[in-house]
Amino acid sequence: MALPAPRKKLSTPESVYLVEVIKGMFLTMSHVIKNILDQDRFRTIEYPDMRKPMAARYRGAHRLTTRPDGKVKCVACMCCPTICPAKCITIIAGEAADDPAEKFPIEFDIDMLRCIFCGFCVEACPKDAIRMDTKIYEINAYTRQDMVHNKSYMINLMDGLKPEAEDVYRAHPEQAPAGYTFDEKPVA
Amino acid sequence: MSFETVLPYLIVLGKCVFAVAFVMQIVPLLIWGERKGAAYIQDRPGPNRADIMGIRAGGLVHTLNDVVKLVMKEDIVPQHVEKFYWALAPVIAMTVALVTFIVVPFGDTFMGVPLKVSDIDGGLLFVLAMTSLGVYGIMLAGWASNNKFSLLGGLRASAQMVSYELAMGLSAVVIFLGSGSLSLSVIAEQQALPLELGFISIPAFNWNVFSVPGAIAFILFWVAAFAETNRTPFDLPEGEAELVGGYHTEYSSLRFALFFMAEYANMIVASAVTATLFFGGYNVPFLNGETIRANADTLVALIGFGAVPVLLFFSALAWKRRNRPFYRAIAVDDIRHREPKFWTATWLGLAVVHAGVGVLGLSGIIGANGPTGIGPDTVAFVLQLTALALKVLLGCWIMIWVRWTLPRFRYDQLMNLGWRVMLPVALVNVFVAAVWIIVKESLFA
Amino acid sequence: MAKVKINDTEIEVPNGTNMIEAAKLAGEEIPHYCYHPHLSIAGNCRMCLVETTTPRGPVLEIACNMQARDGLAIRTDTAQVLHMRKSVMEFLLVNHPLDCPICDQSGECRLQDYYMEHGQYDSRGLDPKVGKNKRQDIGDLIVLDAERCVQCSRCERFGDEVTGTGELRLMNRGDHTEIGMFPGDRLSHNYQGNLADICPVGALTNKDFRFQRRVWYLKETASVCTGCATGCNIQVCHQEGEVFRYLPRRNDQVNKSWMCDMGRLSYQEIAGLKRILKASVDGKAVEPDVATGEIATRIRAAGAAGVGFVLGTRATNEANWALLQMVRANVPGARIFVVEGNDGGQAAQGDTLLLSGDRNPNTAGARLLARHDGNVGDRLALLAALPELKLLVVLEDDVLGRLGAALPPVVFFGAFKNATAQAAAIVVPTAHPVEQDGSYINRQDRVQRVRRAVNPVGESAPAYVVVDRLGARLGKAPGTQMVAAAFNGMARAVERMRGLEFKGLGAEGRLLAPEAVTAVPGAEAST
Repeated sequence: MALPAPRKKLSTPESVYLVEVIKGMFLTMSHVIKNILDQDRFRTIEYPDMRKPMAARYRGAHRLTTRPDGKVKCVACMCCPTICPAKCITIIAGEAADDPAEKFPIEFDIDMLRCIFCGFCVEACPKDAIRMDTKIYEINAYTRQDMVHNKSYMINLMDGLKPEAEDVYRAHPEQAPAGYTFDEKPVA
Repeated sequence: MSFETVLPYLIVLGKCVFAVAFVMQIVPLLIWGERKGAAYIQDRPGPNRADIMGIRAGGLVHTLNDVVKLVMKEDIVPQHVEKFYWALAPVIAMTVALVTFIVVPFGDTFMGVPLKVSDIDGGLLFVLAMTSLGVYGIMLAGWASNNKFSLLGGLRASAQMVSYELAMGLSAVVIFLGSGSLSLSVIAEQQALPLELGFISIPAFNWNVFSVPGAIAFILFWVAAFAETNRTPFDLPEGEAELVGGYHTEYSSLRFALFFMAEYANMIVASAVTATLFFGGYNVPFLNGETIRANADTLVALIGFGAVPVLLFFSALAWKRRNRPFYRAIAVDDIRHREPKFWTATWLGLAVVHAGVGVLGLSGIIGANGPTGIGPDTVAFVLQLTALALKVLLGCWIMIWVRWTLPRFRYDQLMNLGWRVMLPVALVNVFVAAVWIIVKESLFA
Repeated sequence: MAKVKINDTEIEVPNGTNMIEAAKLAGEEIPHYCYHPHLSIAGNCRMCLVETTTPRGPVLEIACNMQARDGLAIRTDTAQVLHMRKSVMEFLLVNHPLDCPICDQSGECRLQDYYMEHGQYDSRGLDPKVGKNKRQDIGDLIVLDAERCVQCSRCERFGDEVTGTGELRLMNRGDHTEIGMFPGDRLSHNYQGNLADICPVGALTNKDFRFQRRVWYLKETASVCTGCATGCNIQVCHQEGEVFRYLPRRNDQVNKSWMCDMGRLSYQEIAGLKRILKASVDGKAVEPDVATGEIATRIRAAGAAGVGFVLGTRATNEANWALLQMVRANVPGARIFVVEGNDGGQAAQGDTLLLSGDRNPNTAGARLLARHDGNVGDRLALLAALPELKLLVVLEDDVLGRLGAALPPVVFFGAFKNATAQAAAIVVPTAHPVEQDGSYINRQDRVQRVRRAVNPVGESAPAYVVVDRLGARLGKAPGTQMVAAAFNGMARAVERMRGLEFKGLGAEGRLLAPEAVTAVPGAEAST
């Protein structure tokens, strides 16, 4: 049985409702007028066009970093799949024949449906090979298979992003990932 | 068949089209007003994504989108419904809402033609009858849907409408006690008469709302109108929290659109009737038909020049908005950058047009001095129609405003209010009105 | 016996016990690199320094070169000892490349373990590290990375003392000391894998296991190698149903700490192409139950006189016991044989270290049962009986290859597609030793357990279960569904196994009671 909630005894003007109703309506109307005169009062971020500037520590989609020679930094040490609490990282290691690094990931898959974005993989990586500094939070696909980000996807993630994010990063340079370079484009 | 024999029918047909168009044109505006009003009350920008060539018109384009969407959507006919009555229900709802408007006068005369679709003697009764019929649409929808939520919604609607009709009818009694007529055009005309206080005659303030019983009647009538139109705080029939969609749960596509539009049409009609009964209908304060016709040129000049500063202010507001963060965020070549410029130009252009209208008024070719006698009647028609439209829109805005301010009643509170507060008050008010009329007549007659 | 004191614990150990081992008995871990229980003492890593009291006062000595004597007292927890460990670790790591992310040893690396315990943590290194030869291909199974080496010389001693081949040598001096091979030399013996095992760091790693799996993922199950009659004790390292490697498991009576490369690589056959995955009758794949029913029908049709059974020298004791019991209960009068020899019929070469020429893990067990039953024929008896047999039921062994003669229709229970399986009319898959519990008897008459590490592949089941099901079809099941029941039943019945219990076989196995009469003919000579 639910207990009856204690209710405030209404005073006479309150019990007629009308006074209180009118008081409330004046309050809402004051908002309307203020908002018409000054639309900058809105805190709304008009999403596809405007973006919330993500904090520097925000953990977005993973990317794999590369060495100056273009090869992936990862040496398939398996630290990230070991630490991963969601067990979403799958790495198949291979031997690099003529590379002093000896070892490299033949396959490096992250199942983004499983990932919980804890960032442990980044912390665990001894080679700074995986980062979550992309600030990409639109991680979506039409199939489950496409939600598994593979090695080449994660290496080229920032390249693939450029056309979409370019304008946002131009408008809000503080949102751009570290080291992001703008393409030459005349500013009107 | 000569033109003279056909003309009355053509005139009636034209007035019918005009009345329907009047209601149906305001509906999308109200939908927009509802969305934008809700948004502004809640400190958010509201709908603003849809655009035509980059012009978003503050979300008005969404209404157009809605029309396209609702027309193009699949018309789902559930297997379990009573097909005939189910299909009939939205038609009834919409028809009744539109038909009610025929007795509302939207002006005095134009070239000798009375500006109302039908001058029924029992116009007020017709209004009450039609609103009573409106409940059939909702009841049928609720019952024919064969769905417990819809049925409950229909039940609530019928109970609520029956309950509030009493208070509504009794508050209207006050009006025809005073006017001695049930015809809405007579009631409107009487309110245009100057207020005779024995020693002074004021060409305004003779509206029915400006009397003690009239004011009480207005409040009762207005509250009952909320209940009749199923608007918050009396929108229990479609209480989405407990009844999914209420009586229109099973409707989709254009059938849902009919219900949706019927609600707004009802709002318009309720506002129009309220305006006619209590706020002088098409009457412009201080300006009755004769005054307008006599001073047509002056009025045109005043209105033309008077609108210019307002439009300039709008223009400045639009120009200021180009600096909003939104325009800084989107790409430099985004098509929507033209919007502030467009609106600035549009308002400026309208200001120029109004200045032109003002010049037209100064030139004196509109009034009695003009080439034809049509000028003064046109001015009177436009002004009176504008007055009615403004009163209707204000009423509708209050309904929207109330909806986004007040919480919904509980069902027992609703019934309590209807039967135990409004009905006795309305009854007493009838006596008050009778006494008021006797006192007034004995004082000023 | 000598009473020694380690820290505050007094314990009694045999005279001359190495103090690292004594400390281990006392529950005290003394870190070490170069000491190995089965190699000579080198004393060059200096990691095992402990404090002992002499007439001159407390001094540091290496524990590995200290032998237990009465009254000896050492301490492993003094500030001096800890400081020395830290300093030794710092020296060892001066030129270490720290490529743990790549190194296969990480996870089982002594450098990592001791660094976490005794490390310096903050590097004081200013000079560049001395580079050495990395990734040297020095043998079929071994990769050498000289940079990672801590110069413990275990591999050198292994080559000198165990295999006697002596390929690996420490060269140069000071911090340029480097482990390496003579030019043009290459590891070629059958015990290379042990080098990777004894290397305490990642200098010598196994090519076969290279980059396959991180060791911390692997689960270990104690088992026995079934590659030959020696029965080396092993750890089966597996993850999620897949076996990745065998490691030798220390058993001083059988294999010390070693195992041969042949046995080490035999894990590959578990999921290999030669496994039988499905039961078949006359070449058609059927459900195992259907095949079992068909076997029963054919055994009945052949009659007791027309059917012969062959116990497996590759099968577990439990499977052999199940078959023996099943035959005696359901087909009394049927003849039973044991056919010794190697699969394919070729004689194999053993060596003097571990590998036996008899490549069957359970020859001794089959012989034991044959002796117990008293009415089991050998190879010659089977040859003689062949014309009378209409059906031959074979357990695991390649009888066709061993006999070299045409066989009557064969029913084959086994894990591998050998010649007999390919010729068999009915085949029922059985589990691999790592997929089942069971016991084998090695050439020393030592009963040793295998333990289930992974699930049986395909439709296979342990042979004793399969035989039990066949018995149920024929009328009387031998009751060997559970391995412990099968073994304990056998131990109660067989005289030399009296007193043994399946649960009591332990990690190192148990020897059979000595034989009452003369040795079994044809016993191993090459041990």
